[in-house]
Amino acid sequence: MVLTIIYRLIIALVIALVGWNLFTEKKFTAQLTAAMVLIPLVLRALMIK
Amino acid sequence: MKEFFKKPIFPIITASVSLVLAIGIMVAAGVSFVKCWDVPMPIEGPNVTEVKMLSEWYDGLKDGPGDTPVYVLKGEGDGGAMLILGGTHGNEPSGYMSAVTFIETAIIENGTVYVIPYTNISSMTHNDPGEGNLQYFTLQTKSGERIFRFGSRATNPIHQWPDPDVYTHHPSGQQLSGSETRNINRAYPGREDGTLTEQIAFGIAELIRTEDVGITFDLHEASPEYPVINATVAHQDAMTIASEGCINLLLSGIDMALEQSPTNFHGLTHRELGDYTDTMAILMETANASQGRLRGGTSEEQVLGGVDDYYLYSESIGMLFVPWDENHHPIEERCGRHLQGIYEYTMAYNNAYPDKIVTYSGVPSYQELFLDADKEDLGGTQLGKFLR
Repeated sequence: MVLTIIYRLIIALVIALVGWNLFTEKKFTAQLTAAMVLIPLVLRALMIK
Repeated sequence: MKEFFKKPIFPIITASVSLVLAIGIMVAAGVSFVKCWDVPMPIEGPNVTEVKMLSEWYDGLKDGPGDTPVYVLKGEGDGGAMLILGGTHGNEPSGYMSAVTFIETAIIENGTVYVIPYTNISSMTHNDPGEGNLQYFTLQTKSGERIFRFGSRATNPIHQWPDPDVYTHHPSGQQLSGSETRNINRAYPGREDGTLTEQIAFGIAELIRTEDVGITFDLHEASPEYPVINATVAHQDAMTIASEGCINLLLSGIDMALEQSPTNFHGLTHRELGDYTDTMAILMETANASQGRLRGGTSEEQVLGGVDDYYLYSESIGMLFVPWDENHHPIEERCGRHLQGIYEYTMAYNNAYPDKIVTYSGVPSYQELFLDADKEDLGGTQLGKFLR
């Protein structure tokens, strides 16, 4: 249980960093890549998949 | 126009568009995954006297993701108790569809039959990543179109996480690959303070011990390139019964191999339920094209019809452990084998234990499900005719 909470906190941190990257990156393809990376991270943070 | 793309606001717009697109995909995927958590249940047949939950035998499972329905079918006459385990592996549809068919058709004359259609119900709530499996398949039944789930071999990782590098079976100490920690057929006899998968296994062992279940069937499928297929595996205590039943299956035209459960392969029903309870533990396997490594793309036709032309070719070069021709292996043949197997082994059990008999009728036989079917009805239509 504690391990899962730590795991989800790490995911939340990575989501924040990827989100930061999405809005600071100038290149559209890099932005799109960051947005795609967010999909599995958010689904896992919400424990949906 | 060129000037617009150079404005500092442009990357913010493209980032926002990308985010909206990603959120759209997240919502669509999330809704699809969450829908899989709702596992369609059997419709209660003419002889379902009670629907209990496994937590009635082990309350540690109560209201959790491993608590699964147990259908109780009690006959009017005295007798023994029998347990049918479907859905040990969620990607083996003839296992749980045979259990569903039994629940919806059986009329018990003597004894009590416990049927668990989805033994590892958590495994029914997701699919194996990278397999391209179906989420659902449909059958036309007496009440119209019904949807059934196609699940995974193992417990959903959102319910049991993380997998160790090496899975050490309790109590034998046998070591297997880490992902087997979520395979309930490596978790028996289970333990109260173990993982979710071990707790479900413990609940089933408790049911067997509490209800004095004399004979237990665990219904499986295997890929056509797996050696133990169209086969029965029985604990050594059940070999006399299994031998008699197997001979009767062979006489009725069902080619069934019989193997004794290896004493050094732990965690499986046919080993541990035989060792840790007084039940006669029997496991059966049929041929499932949608599980194999040599298969083509997965489809409903493959899951229900067993249709896969790659297996026709594989057969021609001797890669398979089961005969394969243009008739393939439809769900009616696979469920028919399981249901006929249950019948013949139960008859053999009744001969050996006349004071604990379990007799029933109404369940479709191999002949009715498969041999008597029109060829165009194979692949789901014929099975659907028996479902409510």
